[in-house]
Amino acid sequence: MLEQIWFPLYITLKISLVSSLIVAILGTLIAYILARKEFMGKWLVDVLVTLPMVLPPTVTGYMLVVLLGKNGILGKVLFDLTGIRLLFTWQAAVIAAFVVSLPLMVKTTTAAIEAVDRELEYVAYTLGRSELETAFFITLPLAKKGILAGIVLSFARAVGEFGATLMVAGNIPGRTNTMAISIYSAFQGGNSELANTLVIILVLMSLISMAITTRLVNSWKI
Amino acid sequence: MGIKVDFRKRFYKNNERKKGKDPSFTVDVNFEAGNELAVLFGQSGSGKTTTLRCIAGLEKPSGGKITVNGTVYFDCHKAIDLPPQKRSLGYVFQNYALFPHMDVKKNITYGLKGMTDQEKENRMRQMLHLLHIEGLEDYYPSQLSGGQKQRVALARALAPGPDILLLDEPFSALDMIVRMKLRERIKLIQKELNIPVLFITHNPVEAFTLGDKIIVFHEGKVQQTGTPEEVFYQPKNRHVAELVGVNNIFDDAVFASHIDKDRTLFKAGELEIITRHIEIKTDKRISWGIRPENITLLNSDKDNRELYENHFSGKVISIVNKGASKLIAVRSNKERRVLISEVSNKAYEELNLFHGCNCTFSFASRDVLIFV
Repeated sequence: MLEQIWFPLYITLKISLVSSLIVAILGTLIAYILARKEFMGKWLVDVLVTLPMVLPPTVTGYMLVVLLGKNGILGKVLFDLTGIRLLFTWQAAVIAAFVVSLPLMVKTTTAAIEAVDRELEYVAYTLGRSELETAFFITLPLAKKGILAGIVLSFARAVGEFGATLMVAGNIPGRTNTMAISIYSAFQGGNSELANTLVIILVLMSLISMAITTRLVNSWKI
Repeated sequence: MGIKVDFRKRFYKNNERKKGKDPSFTVDVNFEAGNELAVLFGQSGSGKTTTLRCIAGLEKPSGGKITVNGTVYFDCHKAIDLPPQKRSLGYVFQNYALFPHMDVKKNITYGLKGMTDQEKENRMRQMLHLLHIEGLEDYYPSQLSGGQKQRVALARALAPGPDILLLDEPFSALDMIVRMKLRERIKLIQKELNIPVLFITHNPVEAFTLGDKIIVFHEGKVQQTGTPEEVFYQPKNRHVAELVGVNNIFDDAVFASHIDKDRTLFKAGELEIITRHIEIKTDKRISWGIRPENITLLNSDKDNRELYENHFSGKVISIVNKGASKLIAVRSNKERRVLISEVSNKAYEELNLFHGCNCTFSFASRDVLIFV
């Protein structure tokens, strides 16, 4: 019983933390580019990043399987080069969580960066500061509430991810059985005691993380 | 030394550039300024801010050349376009644009590079002293008043020792007393640092009191460049005249004759207007104008003061109190033309005018402006 609780909790946190870390870095970069740069095909980037937000997770998951499977475009290259098979590993679950939570990060952060007064950036440029310095010391600190909101939303989305994860990582006990998937299979198998315990843990976890975030944001003046 | 600007920037609606259409708006400016306070004066939308942003490198001109202190900032033909970081300039925005997450000290030292902490500290103290804001260094922008914020913004812009200072309507959000103090300060700072300062304003009083030189903008073009006196008393065309407060402008003067070597006669509708001697080649209609404070009003019944060359009888049709003076609209009996006269409160009391009363208005030939 204990193993049935601890492992899903451990693997869920691991997948969600790793995915959120990647989402935070790449999402902020993409958001900055979308908010501040003009280039050909910007709309296409916007659409591609947002798409997983509107697609059913199973569709996203199916597309990832096609892409990452042994005969998929990326999966084949990876297998030929390194011999690694990605599907049905926790890393595959990270990719699924990343893809479905990226839109939340990008949307929230783009809005936050767009809300930063451009004149502040212009002042920094005239004071001799490069665009990179300005982004790190002016723009991003002023957009930090939005960035944090994006990370929290992405993390929550990753913790709750079910459809796409099931498609790419399956439900392998001791390897890829995340909380959300374990709850479903416990419920299916009539193990309501396990289902209840997992649900309570998940709800508590969400409550605590929301509470911490809210307090943190409220303590920021800007 | 100083700044030399000669560039064009064309603006197009959406995709019209690709279709080869004419630009919807063109900023085409050409002026020079030495180590002096030059005011860019004009209505909003006349291209003043675009000009400043092009000088700062925040916008790219379509063509031309910008040089500051011998350094070429932009040259279309030589493909030179220094980024703002490489142009040595201080830029101050109307809304201060202080970094809200940094205290005053960090704001002011943000542009200082390659200095030890002690050097930065010294430079910051110098700036605080220059702007008279000692003691504010630990405050955050949200804790400052508008005037203090603008002083910090100036200190921040000046801290790296720029070659030129650009100010975009810096005082327009401040109340009058703070604004007057800051005008004095900026004048002193310009003298002390001896660098060119370009100052944008749409306020004629600010332009007049502040500028060593005024550069008048209208619809993207420089209309006139000169001392405040030249621009205000000898506006070159009717756009400049309107901007400097010539309320009475008409477009119907036709040359009639030269009265003598000093005076010329024009006909404006049925009115005859005597001006100083003006060489004129065209017999087309041209614009003429008169400043409201140059129109003297006389009470027809009692006043025995001497009249100027141009005088007409009329009626008072409205009186607007401006505080220190009154704006009085009079309508001539002949042709029913409305002119505005500005009369000091003291003169107004002595005149004993009222709505609808008869009056005589007169103005000197030397005060009539003719825009050929």
